Amino acid sequence: MGFLFDVLRDAFRAIIEFDPELRRVLGLSLTVSGVATAIGVGIGVPVGVALALGRFRMRRVLRILVDVGMGMPPVLAGLLLLILFWRAGPLGGLGLAFTPAAMVVAQVLLAIPIAAGVTAGAVSGLPDAALEQLAALRLSRWKTGVIAVSEARSGVLASVAASFGRVVSEVGAVLIVGGNILGETRVLTTLIVQESRQGHFGLAVAAGILLLVISLVVNVAIGGLEPQWRR
Amino acid sequence: MIRYPADGSILSIESLDVAPGERLIVFGPNGAGKSTMLRILAGVLPGGPAPAAAYLPQKPHLFKGSTRWNLGLGLDPEQTTRAAFLAATMGVDHLFGQPASHLSGGEIHRIALARVLARPETLVLLDEPLAPIDVSSRRDLARVVLEAISDRSAIIVTHDIEEAVALGTHMAVLIGGRIRQRDEIGSVLSHPGDADVAAAIGVGNLIEGIARVSGGVTRLEGRIEIVGSGLVVDGSSGRAVFGAEAVTLFATPLADSGSARNHWTGAITGIRSSGRMLEVTVDCGVEIVALVTPGSADGLGLAVGSQVGVAVKAASVKIL
Repeated sequence: MGFLFDVLRDAFRAIIEFDPELRRVLGLSLTVSGVATAIGVGIGVPVGVALALGRFRMRRVLRILVDVGMGMPPVLAGLLLLILFWRAGPLGGLGLAFTPAAMVVAQVLLAIPIAAGVTAGAVSGLPDAALEQLAALRLSRWKTGVIAVSEARSGVLASVAASFGRVVSEVGAVLIVGGNILGETRVLTTLIVQESRQGHFGLAVAAGILLLVISLVVNVAIGGLEPQWRR
Repeated sequence: MIRYPADGSILSIESLDVAPGERLIVFGPNGAGKSTMLRILAGVLPGGPAPAAAYLPQKPHLFKGSTRWNLGLGLDPEQTTRAAFLAATMGVDHLFGQPASHLSGGEIHRIALARVLARPETLVLLDEPLAPIDVSSRRDLARVVLEAISDRSAIIVTHDIEEAVALGTHMAVLIGGRIRQRDEIGSVLSHPGDADVAAAIGVGNLIEGIARVSGGVTRLEGRIEIVGSGLVVDGSSGRAVFGAEAVTLFATPLADSGSARNHWTGAITGIRSSGRMLEVTVDCGVEIVALVTPGSADGLGLAVGSQVGVAVKAASVKIL
C-alpha cells in the first residue's frame, strides 16, 4: 500500500507544483491535438456528409478508405509519415521529421477518417423524411451540406469529440514522427511512456490524470453546445 | 422510361406525358408504386428522368430553425413573398416566428405546400397533398392548390377518389407498377378499362349534375336524382360516383317507396363479362353499371332489353 500511496502523492505533487516542463508538455498536447482536430474535422465532416448524401463515382472507394482509416494503427501512420519526412525521403526537404508540425500531420490523418465516418453515420441516420425533403428542395451542395450538419448536430459534435479523443490519447504516431524530444516534441502520452519506463510513476500518473481532465472538459464543453431540452 | 429497381420489377412505365395545363392524377392502391414513381421524377431516387419540378413529398419535413426560414428554403425573395402569401391563405402565417419543431403535422404540411407552390418550375409533383388536412379545410385547400398551379402541369399521387376528383383533370391508374389506364378523369371513373381498374378506383358509375345540400342531405340533380354524401357547395356542379358492385338489381321494377332513396327502373342495354363477374348496363335515364355474379344473373333472368329495378345505398354514393 505504501508504494501506491507514494505514487499518488508524487502525482498530485507534480500537478500542484505544475513545473514549467509539465506545463510545456500539456501545452504541446493541447496545441498539437487541437490543431489536428480542427483540420481533421474541417476535412472529415464534409467528406462524411458527401459519403452520406452524395451520388458520385468514387463513393465506394472513399467509403473503404474511411473504414480502413478508422481502424488504422497510429503507429503505422507514424511510421509511414516518418519515412516520407526522413531526410532522404520524398518530403525530406521540408525538414519536418521530429517536429510538432509532423505530429500535427500524423494526427490529422488519424482524425479525418473518424470525423468522416461518424459524421456519415449521423447524417445517413437522419429520418427518411428529412433526407427526402433535403433532396426535394434541390438546394446548392453547400447549403444542402450545411442543413444536413445542422440536422445531425449531435452526431457531428460526437464526431468532433471522437476525433479529439483519438488524437489526444494516441501515442504511437507522435512518438515515431515527433521523437519524444524533451522540450520540443514531448506530449502527455509520450511523457507517460518515457517516465514509466524509468520508474518515475508519479509524473506518469500526473500526465494520465491531466489526459482524463482534458477528456472530461472537452466532452462537457461539446455536450454543452447542444442543450438536452431542445432536442 | 421509368424503371425501379433496374429490372423494373416494382415499377415499369414506358412514358408519362403531361400536357401543359393538365393535372394528371396517378391513382392506385397502396404499394402500387405511386410514391416511388414520383420520387424518381423528383430526382430523389434513381431510375428515370428527373425534369425540373417542384416536389411535395408524402411526409414533408421542416428543419431545425424558424418556420419563416423553412418557408423560404430554396426560394428567392420574390418567391418567398409568394410562399408567405399562400401560407396566409392557408391560415398558417401566424406561425412564421415559431420554431418549426413546435408545429403540428397539419401545419408542417401547409407550410411545405406553400413552399412548393411558390416554386417557379412549370411541373408540380404532389404526393397526397390533401391527405393530412382535416376534412373541414380540404375544400379550401384544394382551391388554393388549383389556383396556384392553374397555368402549370401537375402530377398528383393519391389513393383517395375525393382528392383525385377535386384536383385532377386526367387520371392514370397504376396497379402493380404498371399504368393500366390513362384518360380524362371522368372517362376513367365512368369507364374503368378492366375489372382490376374498377376494383382499384372503386367506381364504375359517374353521374353529373348540380349539387343540392339541405338539412344534412346531399343530393345531385341531373337527368336522375341521386342522394349521397360529400363535400360540395349547394348549387355547384358536381359528380356522383359509386362502384358498380354497390348497385343492386331486381327482377321487377321497384315501387316508388321503401327505405332505399336511390332507386330507378330501366331497360338492360348490355351484359358483358368482367373477370368472374358480369357487368350489366341499365338505362335509367343515365346508364348505370352493376356488377353481378353469373349465378344471380341467371336467377334474375337478366337479358338485354328486359326491365329491371336498380337500387344504390346512399352511403355508397360520393358526391364530389
